[in-house]
Amino acid sequence: MATQETQILDDIIVAGRRKMLALGGSALAGMVLGTAVPKAAAQSATYSDSDILNFALNLEYLEANFYYMAAFGTTINVPNAASMAAFIAAGGSSAQAAMPIPITITGGGVGTPGTVTGGSKVIFGATGTAVQSYATETAIEEGKHVVLLQNALGSLAVNQPAINIAAGNGGTGTGLSGAFGILANAAGIPGGNAFSPYASDQNFLVGAYVFEDVGVTAYHGAASLITMSANLSAAASILAVEAYHAGLVRTTINALDPTATTIGGYTQKISSLRASLALAASPTTLTGAAANPYDTNPDDYGTPTTSVTLAGVTGNTATQITDADRTNVIAFSRNTNQVLNIVTGGGKVNGTTVNPTATGVFFPNGLNAGSNGFK
Amino acid sequence: MDKLDTVLKHAFSRRSFLAGAGSVAAASMVAGCSNNGNSTAPTTSSYTDADVLNFALNLEYLEAQFYMYAATGSGLPSSLTAAPSGYSGSYTQGTVTLGNAAKVAGLTPGQQQILNEIAYEEQEHVAFLRAALGPAAVPMPSIDLSFFGPLALALTPAVSGFNPFASFDYFLLGAFIFEDVGVTAYSGAAPLISAAGVASGYLTAAAGILAVEAYHAGYIRTTLTARAIAAGSSTAYPYLGVANEISALRASLTVGNSGAPMTPPSSSTPTTETNLTLPTSGTQPTAIVNASQANATGYARTVNQVHHIVYGSPTVGVAKGGFFPNGTNSIFSTTTA
Repeated sequence: MATQETQILDDIIVAGRRKMLALGGSALAGMVLGTAVPKAAAQSATYSDSDILNFALNLEYLEANFYYMAAFGTTINVPNAASMAAFIAAGGSSAQAAMPIPITITGGGVGTPGTVTGGSKVIFGATGTAVQSYATETAIEEGKHVVLLQNALGSLAVNQPAINIAAGNGGTGTGLSGAFGILANAAGIPGGNAFSPYASDQNFLVGAYVFEDVGVTAYHGAASLITMSANLSAAASILAVEAYHAGLVRTTINALDPTATTIGGYTQKISSLRASLALAASPTTLTGAAANPYDTNPDDYGTPTTSVTLAGVTGNTATQITDADRTNVIAFSRNTNQVLNIVTGGGKVNGTTVNPTATGVFFPNGLNAGSNGFK
Repeated sequence: MDKLDTVLKHAFSRRSFLAGAGSVAAASMVAGCSNNGNSTAPTTSSYTDADVLNFALNLEYLEAQFYMYAATGSGLPSSLTAAPSGYSGSYTQGTVTLGNAAKVAGLTPGQQQILNEIAYEEQEHVAFLRAALGPAAVPMPSIDLSFFGPLALALTPAVSGFNPFASFDYFLLGAFIFEDVGVTAYSGAAPLISAAGVASGYLTAAAGILAVEAYHAGYIRTTLTARAIAAGSSTAYPYLGVANEISALRASLTVGNSGAPMTPPSSSTPTTETNLTLPTSGTQPTAIVNASQANATGYARTVNQVHHIVYGSPTVGVAKGGFFPNGTNSIFSTTTA
């Protein structure tokens, strides 16, 4: 029951949920803390909404810089003619006069400021003009998410951490560098150690694919952890936008490669890699005892077609634009350790070892976080 | 007699629809300083988490029937529309008024696969919500899939002969009517879930369905935009313009926040809709995401605002019409604001 008055009480009860989590008294605790990962539990036992929003802010710094570099050839804090023009074309006017250009990367001053390594403007045009327009839209939107979260957090906002969005250098073993090369190589994409998301329309879409579904699962996982109703509304509204972006990327990949022989096939390789990294950070899914019913294994699917049952009739071929559980079709949810493991290439949880700060791939020095934050 | 009743019913639906639309301009003038459509608790005296989920189930029944007919020519199986075993509520199972509902004509194999996916996913949302609610799940209300025609006549300018089952492009427009609404409905409903419901996993389920609806909306908006870009102009691909007319109509029906849709670049007027754009070069952005210009966050609508849209009426107190000729099987079925 939730009348107007009990709604207020509910808010107070919900606000007390943090204490329940600290005591481990709620099944929800397992969603973020991982019942089999006590070290992580100790680290984050007294987290607050600001810790959750700062976790999201780290991811938005990453996404925004990738899209700014791809679309405009610059980082979010260094405006150029292309980024300024796009910002205005996307609605930047008097309404955004208060919004700083360039986007600041020092947040509220929490954590060690870092710079962006790698990246260049995509060589667009092989498939027409649409993909560049998509990149332009997405860059502006992710930049706004950075500003939104910084404003919401105020003095608690973290600085931009060191970010690596470099293409692969073609090396092997310890000689392999560039976040996208490392990831593409691990995923098994042909020639992955030299993969560049900046080389073409198609490669850019694959690069974007790496991020978008992760954003969806991260915001989904965070939604249940937030205590303030206003913050929940904000997280839900960003979740929606990340899913629109993911839908855009997957739709376009499917349109360009409906038989999943090239970039469509790569999506399945990336999804499989993400699923295995997520699984490594949530061993409870191995035993079927995951606290979160939407934390399943596998928790990721690429765009190749599948077969579905419609009104009892089996054998209907269907695309997989939506990245969701195939049975109840609810988008997947990931806890912070799972997301950290994906964006650092397994830097958070390795077997039974839980590192206090995950480092690697896109975040070479780890995420910036407050004392009880997620990193 | 049935035929006559149906015709009269449609005529009545459309009359209230159009009469209501006339008062929208006045309403929108005072809406300029309203909030961003963020949900507040409805004024219904009390409601449970089951009421919130059943509200969502009504919308899923509508979406699922539309996509099932579009993809296969048949609707949901009766096992997914009847009252569940042990149901003790007062709502009764309705029927589907088909109108032109049929498998969409002229689909390519790839387009058929898209329709199959969305139909399957909405079917499974119905199944999931019914399973989550158990004996508390309401049966399917009466659904009118012939309402697309009257709705299109209410667009400005009016579109006659609108049939979402006639072609893939028309189908995209039919889907467009629903998908962004689904996203905003779940965004608005999620904060209504109680603390106990959060602990029970209802919130994460609602958030997960919200994401899927946004994937669908992303598909529809991307495909409309891509086909317009490929055609080269809004004249060559008129469906983009009709989609924006639908946005304008939905916005006008969003009582309390009925500002016109934004077209980038735009003013700062709070609204609930973003127009699709047709970039003339790669350096111009598309508008795939339906989100605020200020901070790129998605919109939310209250249960009342969602009902106004699916009933096709901005009249406060309206309890049925449009896609739900007998109203939704929901405690929120009568609009209170």
